Parts: sequence; C-alpha cells; structure tokens
Amino acid sequence: MKTKKLEKWLLLEQSGELSPRQLRRLNRELSDSEEARVLRSELRRLKGVLLTPDIEPSPWTVSQIAARLRVENRPDMALIRILKPVLALAACLALMLGIGNFHGERASSASPGVVASAGVDVWDDPIGEDLNNLENLIVAISGDSNDVMEM
Amino acid sequence: MKTARENNPMDQEDDAELLAAYRAGDGESLGKLVEKYKRPLFGFILRFSEGREEADEIFQEVWVRAIKNMNRYHHKNLLSWLFRIAHNLMIDRMRRSKPMLSLDTPMNTEGSPLGEQLAAVCLGPDGEAGGRELGLRIEAAAAQLPAEQREVFWLRMQADLSFKEIAKIQKCSINTALARMQYAVSKLRKELAGEYRELQKAGI
Repeated sequence: MKTKKLEKWLLLEQSGELSPRQLRRLNRELSDSEEARVLRSELRRLKGVLLTPDIEPSPWTVSQIAARLRVENRPDMALIRILKPVLALAACLALMLGIGNFHGERASSASPGVVASAGVDVWDDPIGEDLNNLENLIVAISGDSNDVMEM
Repeated sequence: MKTARENNPMDQEDDAELLAAYRAGDGESLGKLVEKYKRPLFGFILRFSEGREEADEIFQEVWVRAIKNMNRYHHKNLLSWLFRIAHNLMIDRMRRSKPMLSLDTPMNTEGSPLGEQLAAVCLGPDGEAGGRELGLRIEAAAAQLPAEQREVFWLRMQADLSFKEIAKIQKCSINTALARMQYAVSKLRKELAGEYRELQKAGI
C-alpha cells in the first residue's frame, strides 16, 4: 500500500470510518509493514497529547443565553420580526412620497417669473424668528439691552 | 462507519430529550446541554477568535441559533451541529473583515500568547511530564496552517468529529477533508521531527 493511501486509511481507522473489509486489509498491512505501525503510533501519540482544553466560557453564559432567548421569544419581538419588511417598505414609500412632495412644492411656489420680478429670494425662516423671539425674551427678563452673546 | 459518539444512541436521545424539555419550559435543560458540550465547543471557538470576550459572544450566539432552529435538528449529533453553526458564524465574522488572530498574538488580558495559554491547558495527563513543550510546538506549527486545514486538524484531533461530519461543516467532500488533514499532519511531522521521535521513544 502506498504511504498516502496508508495514511488516509489510518486516519479513517482512528475516526472509526473504515469499513470492516478495509479494516481487515489495514490490519494485514499493519502486521506486514513497520512503516504502517510507526505511522499509526505517531497518529495515536499526536491525538493523545492533544486533549480538550479546560478553558470554559464565562460562568454566567447559561443565564445570558437564557435571557437572550427569552427576549427573542417575546410575542412583541416576534411581531416586530414579522412586521419588519412591511415597516421597511412603508418607510421607503413615505420617504419617496416626501421627496416627491418637496420637489412638487418647490416647483409650484418658486416659479421663475415670480423670483425674477421680486428680485430677492423669499425665504421663510421660522427658526430664525423663534431665535429672535427667544433673544428678546431673555433681554426682557435680564432687564438691560446687553447682547446676550457677550454674557 | 460511525464514530464512537455517533454510535451512542443514548447520547443523541438525551440531547433530543433535553432540547424538547427546554422547549417545554424546563430552563434547567439548557444548562445541562451547555455544560455537556461547553469545553470542546468553547475550546474550538477560542482558537479561531480574538480572545475570550469574542469567544464568549460567539459561544452564546451558537446556542441561541441552535435553540431557535431546533426544528432543523433531527436527532443526529448535536455537537457536530453546534460546530457547524460556530463555523458559519466565524466565517461571517471573518467576511466582515475582522482579521483573525494568530496564536502568537499576545492577548490583552493575560498578556501571554494565545498559543501558550491554550497549550498550557490542552495537554493530557500523558503529556504533562514531557509533552508541554511538544504541545506548544504543535500549537505553533498548527497556527501556521491555512485556516481550512487548521480547522480540520482541531475538529478531528480535539473535538473528535468524524471526517464525514467535518466534511459537512466545511461543505466539502470527505476526500477533501482527509487531504487537508493529511497535509496538516505531514507539516507537523516535518516541523516536529526530532522532538516528536524523542517523545515517541520515551513513550509519552
């Protein structure tokens, strides 16, 4: 038997995957060949030296797994999982509609003729207005007219 | 052509019963199952992850996925199935471009190389006298192997899976799994030539 094949059969013998017929043939080979015996002994030593490590997962692993499974199995989580694709689709549609509306409004409210005749860019700035109101309120409360930004 | 573990129907029955009991609400069954397989599974995961924290995460994820997909478990070898889930999870992580640690890379917490830490604890009683050095060298030599060969080597030598089971995990033929193992063993033989023969003579 060639060395490569012999090695393969020895590995299969070790893992218990040789057929009875192959096993008989291997045993004949082992009784006839010193090389076969050395190879088998080498494989056995190798496996004997390497045993399962004593390293273990953290002691609270089981409770963490159980907690995760409890969360995963909650009925509301199951509902969310089922609804996820539907919700994603709805979000996409809403976004697309929003973008469409935004473009539509801009096109209708800022027609080229109106902008050209006005000569200025009309921009409604509610945040700016709110900030002004807030500044006025702070000034009124503090009782002087100092710039609040300098305080 | 079955391994000793596959041939033990009691084990498989126990596992199926424990899984069923957990499903029926018996929380303790999960603990028994985790306890039963934690060492080989965690040892394997630790070899292919970036330290204990990540290994813990993967270990938990393996069990969560296993329990969630229990209906796919058909009373066969539970450990082999767990290894398959772990293999897939680790492949996913690698694809997300997390570089795998070499066994020579020092770990953050303990400071000594992972290879040394594992070798220090994975030697059997036979090896304690003269085999620690050999264990370290095997770890170091195995760390140089390509990931697929390394995986076959540890799944066979430590987890005691059959080549049929390993082939399933790696989604390849039994012959390919065998060839990977042969390559790994021949590389180790080359690397450890002198020392290994000495230990053989000494009967270690």
